[in-house]
Amino acid sequence: MIRADERERLEHDVWATLAGVHDPEIPPCSITDLGIVERVVVTDDAVEVDLLPTFAGCPALDVIREDTEAAVRASADGREVRVRVVFGPPWTSDRITAEGHVALRSYGITPPGASGGPVVIPLASLARSEGTPCPFCGSRTTVLESAFGPTLCRTTHFCRACRNPFEAFKPKTA
Amino acid sequence: MNQNEDPRLVLLLAVADDELIMGHRHSEWTGWAPHIEEDLAFSSIAQDEMAHARLLYGLARESGLTDRDEDAMALGRPPEEYRNAWLCERPNGDWGFTVARQYLYDTADAVRVADLTESSWRELAEIMKLIQLEEKYHADHAVAWFERLAGGPSLTARERFAEGLTAAIGEAIALFEPVPGEDRLVSDGVLPRSNADMLGEWLGHVGQELEAVSLDYVLARHGPVGEMVPTGSGEIPLEASDFQVPGVVRRDGGWIHDGGFAGAGGRRGRHSEDFLPLWEEMTALYRAHPGARW
Repeated sequence: MIRADERERLEHDVWATLAGVHDPEIPPCSITDLGIVERVVVTDDAVEVDLLPTFAGCPALDVIREDTEAAVRASADGREVRVRVVFGPPWTSDRITAEGHVALRSYGITPPGASGGPVVIPLASLARSEGTPCPFCGSRTTVLESAFGPTLCRTTHFCRACRNPFEAFKPKTA
Repeated sequence: MNQNEDPRLVLLLAVADDELIMGHRHSEWTGWAPHIEEDLAFSSIAQDEMAHARLLYGLARESGLTDRDEDAMALGRPPEEYRNAWLCERPNGDWGFTVARQYLYDTADAVRVADLTESSWRELAEIMKLIQLEEKYHADHAVAWFERLAGGPSLTARERFAEGLTAAIGEAIALFEPVPGEDRLVSDGVLPRSNADMLGEWLGHVGQELEAVSLDYVLARHGPVGEMVPTGSGEIPLEASDFQVPGVVRRDGGWIHDGGFAGAGGRRGRHSEDFLPLWEEMTALYRAHPGARW
């Protein structure tokens, strides 16, 4: 029977390990930065990790699961590693940590804004001057090019101030 | 049709098959859309819709309503077991039809999804809450094109959009064809409102938006919903050979449906002439290599 303090230490180690598993589509971000890890439980014979995909159709998920298994196995003390994908509670962009926001910006992706309010992305908004802030120069004189980008979780924009195209992480909140 | 079929399975299939088949049609724009942003948009929406179908097929299995896994549900069923509405299986046609259909489909889906987040079937309600978060982006996409084509400077674009709406509206109404066993689903709270009630809400909403751009005439003049053809091996039963959807009238300042459904459409496993070719292509690999894994 595993002792409580040992379980705690192991779970702590697993979380630390997960902080080193990076999203293949946004390499500077770890899966803990993105809030994809829902639960870590260490039992007598296993380490269980539940992953919560950002979008249900995220194709990077298989890679993330394999990377997670490989990484956790190293700190599992010989226990079996079980990584599950779960869909509840629904992932929201509020789960991205402050470190995640910094990492996203470093990669040229504007982090999602504070939650609240509906997501408004009609093409009519092209005329508005208050756009998503540019991750390079900070200007809000930007336009939405498309609500869909290179991955399901990103939108594409153009900054009129520094004339760079950039991407933003989709706000996803109830 | 199996008389002993659990209505919960029929409900799941109606929603999941709509999403799967709509996703399949959207995916046909990959590489062909008018510009790269739309290529990405339709490819992304397709990816979302198929993922939503997968979640619902998974729920059917977890709930013991089927033995089939998600791949077998999506690709391993005979054509007559698919319960999607005809609207979803129609070929993409031109851009006007594509965006008109996406607008009608996603506005109707939004009504249905919102209702099902209140389902007494807790697992279904949870999945619907997740789906609702993602569908928001599809609705925004549809509205953006609605505004651009209906209100934009190009009369040709407006005309082609109106033609698309005219062609799609009758079969869009059929998204609300009652599912077999619906009375029980409603009395159990699994389906919080009947399809007729949801149709009323949707028509009121769409009617208002179309009226604002003077395109509401498409509502009143929708024609017959299409030719019936047998799917699989079955013959068309007499009563199913003339699938009819309610008409639409303007009354008391709003658009409402008039009359009911007759015959059998997608919710009873009857499809249009466009379904079989789609099914053959969509399932070709799976049928050639049963149980293949990607």
